[in-house]
Formats: sequence, structure tokens, C-alpha cells
Amino acid sequence: MIQLTNIWKKFGDKQVHNGVNLEVRDNETLVIIGRSGGGKSVLLKMIIGLIKPDSGSIVVDGKDVASLTYKQLQRLRFKFGFLFQGAALFDSMTVGQNIELALRRHGDYKDADITERVKFALHLVKLENVEHLMPSSISGGMKKRVGLARAIALTPKYMLYDEPTTGLDVETADGINLLINELKTTLGVTSIVVTHDIHSAFVVGDRFAIFEKGQFIMTGTKDDIRNSPNPEVRKYIESDIQT
Amino acid sequence: MTETTPESTLISRSAELFYRPGKLILTFFEHLGRYMSTIGWMIYNFRNAKEYSGNILQQMVMIGNNSIPIVLFVSMFVGMVTAVQSSYQLYAWIPRSVVGALVTKSVLLELTPLLTALVLAGKVGATITAELGTMRVTEQIDALEALAFDPISFLITPRVLAGVLMFPILVVFGDLVAILGGMFGASAIAGIPVEAFVDGMKSSFETWDAIFGIIKATVFGFIITSVSCYQGFQVQGGSEGVGKATMNTVVLACLSVVVMDFILASVLL
Repeated sequence: MIQLTNIWKKFGDKQVHNGVNLEVRDNETLVIIGRSGGGKSVLLKMIIGLIKPDSGSIVVDGKDVASLTYKQLQRLRFKFGFLFQGAALFDSMTVGQNIELALRRHGDYKDADITERVKFALHLVKLENVEHLMPSSISGGMKKRVGLARAIALTPKYMLYDEPTTGLDVETADGINLLINELKTTLGVTSIVVTHDIHSAFVVGDRFAIFEKGQFIMTGTKDDIRNSPNPEVRKYIESDIQT
Repeated sequence: MTETTPESTLISRSAELFYRPGKLILTFFEHLGRYMSTIGWMIYNFRNAKEYSGNILQQMVMIGNNSIPIVLFVSMFVGMVTAVQSSYQLYAWIPRSVVGALVTKSVLLELTPLLTALVLAGKVGATITAELGTMRVTEQIDALEALAFDPISFLITPRVLAGVLMFPILVVFGDLVAILGGMFGASAIAGIPVEAFVDGMKSSFETWDAIFGIIKATVFGFIITSVSCYQGFQVQGGSEGVGKATMNTVVLACLSVVVMDFILASVLL
């Protein structure tokens, strides 16, 4: 379980988080919905200790992230897979090298096992025989899939998705949404998805949290969100109806 | 409403006068502190370097092998120009063999280490900052951390180590080519016989001069690679941020090199 309590964060003069509270339960897919540039992605980075909050606590499986030593924090990160907004593939490495990097560094695998695991991770994201390609020669949708394969290579307990469908056409975005659902079923991961795309949110989410002006103004199920009278929530529902 | 008096205007202008320099000084020390902290972390975790030996070899090729042509080209012309100008300035006053001595001393002590460093501050420094800066803005460095890698050990240590190892080697090659260039310039342009040039070179050569040049190259290699890595890691924003950091690297590395050149000369000579 992941628990965020009273998180405050400021960048320069801009107050991004004003006492954020959030609970992510095991085996659920929680979708954080909010406008772009509001600080949703920062929350994901805080959970794995890439950014530190000014105050407040983040507890993952009973461990306070802020109090961990660097080694402990690295061990905690093994539990997470992170799909970055632009996939963040290492552009000096091939697709295969991107995926096997963490396996070689952290796993006790033989070369043959690594090759098998890379193939399996690519198979899970519906890609075959792309190990030799460079990131610059594949499409945006494929990059996201490879990013996903890299994230799941070490079979994480938690998956963090930062705007997984942003910049993709509808068909490719739907494909990514289906993958997120399949990975949940196949690997049994707990997921947090950050998005401003309400359509994708409703496809993948079990529970939803609406992030506005540095706080969560509502958390609930799909029906709770759809029936909410709150105008700040309604604007997302109406944007979905329009699309 | 606040009333504006001549006194309040004076105070406001005085505050403005001190605000900008004060902010600049604070920013300088902030960056110096972060730079030192990065270097400290790199040294503290140096034992991890062996895990990234592949990266170190890759960087040695990038920094060393790929820079050989430009270093040799610059050194050749530096040697020739030094010989021709020395000959022009001293022709009527001194024996011709002195040109050989002058070229050798100048090249070993100052010209090759300094000019190699300034050229590589542009070539190597800019490349490193642009590469790491792009990795920063495209979240590749965050991705490394998310995969439980230490990005300083993975990205900075191999580059700095490669710089420290390869700069002296480049300078040794540069020294040899610059002296050959000097010999060619002296004989072909200034009409000084090769024998006279070699006599001057032999009579003035001291091993310490060559060692001093190598020490300088090692220090310059450290400065250029560490400054460029730090600048790359600090990039914010998009491509504009990468461009700005790359420019800062070249300027800062060149300034640091000339200041350190003076310090080393004062301390070691």
C-alpha cells in the first residue's frame, strides 16, 4: 500500500502541492486526473524518491520514503516500474539493451535467461523481433510499449504510468490502455496512472482521484465521479462526453 | 498608498544596486556547492566504477580516440607558428638553435596542454553537456534512477575518468607533433637547419617540463569533463536549456582552465 499524507511542495514561487493526501490500495489501478502542469507527475516521482516533498510523508509498504538511506531507497525502487511520459528510452542503446540494462545490473541472470526475459517482456507488450532497433527508428506508440517492457522486466509490484496515452492517436492509445489492463491481470500489479485524458482513465481505472489546484478535490469510483455535482469534476466528465 | 520621498527612492535604488551582485554571488556559491557535492559523491562511490567499465572504455574512445585528429592538427600548426614567430622576433639577436629550445620549452610547458584543453573544452565539453542535458530533459536520467541506478556513477564517473586518463595521452601526442611541426616550420619557412633546431631542443630539454605538461593535462581533463557533466545534469527546460548549458560549459571550462593554468604554473614551477 502507498500512503501520501499532507504533502507540500513548492518550485520557486509556485506552490504545487497544498497538503496532498492519498491512499493507493493493493491490486487496484488508481487514476489521478488533472490538468497538465498541475503537479501530478511530480507526485509519481515523489513516491519513488526522485523528488523530495517540502513536508509531509510518503509511506510505501510501511516504509517512510524520506527516512530511507540511499541503498534502501534503491532497493525500494526495485518494487516499482515507471513508464515515463515520453518513454525516456536510452537513445544510445538498442531496444533490447534498454530492457536488459536493469536485468544485467540488478538480477543474477545468465545471458540466456536475460535474452528470454527480454523476449517475454516484449511479448507481453505485443512486440516481437525489435530488440536490435534503435529508439530513434521506432514510432511513438512502440516507444511507449518498449518503455513498458523495460518497466516490467524486473516484475515490479507497483506500476507508475505518467501520461501513458499522451501524444498518441486514438487507436494506439486504446492499445496502450488495453496493455495496462492486461498487465494488471497478468502480473497482478498495483498501478497509479496519471492522465488528463478522462476517456483513458475510465478504461483502465478502478478508482479515481481528481487533482485540482494542488489538492485532491475528490476520490471515488467511476460512478462517484460521473454523478458528482462538483463543477471542477464535471468539466472532466463533460470533456469526455464531447470527445 | 505608500508615499514616495527622495529618501525612499534612494533606499530603493541602493537596494537594487546591491540586489543583482548579491544574487549573482549567491548563485555562484549555490552552484559551487552542488558541483562539489557531485564530485564528492563521485569520489565516495568510486568503488562502483568497476561495474561500469564498459562505459569507461566507451568514453575513452569518445574523448580520446575521436579527438586525436583535431589535437594533432592544432598541435602541428601551433608548433609551426611558434617556430616561425620565434625566428622572426629573435633572428638578429641570438643563435639559430635557440629557436629549437624555445619551441620545445613553449610547447611542453604551455602551448600544447593549454591549447589542447581549450579545443577540447569546445569539442568534448560541449558534447558531454549536450548529451547529458538531453538525457535530463527527456527524463532518461530520471529513468536511470527509477531503475535503481546511481546516475552519477553510471554517467559522470566514466566520463571524468576517461577525461583524466585520455587528456595526458592526447597532450603527449600533441607535444610530439608540435615539435615536429616546429622543426618543419623552422626549416621550411625560417631557413633554420634541422640540425640547429635539434641541437637547441636537446640542450634545453628537461624531463620535468614534459611531466609538468602531463600534470596540467590531467587537471584540465578533470576540470573540463566534471564541469561539462555537472552542467548537463543541471539542465532545465527543453532544447533552449540544453543550448544555454552547452554555452555555459564552454565558457566556464575555458575560464577554469586558464585560471588553473596560472595556479599550477605558480605552484609547480
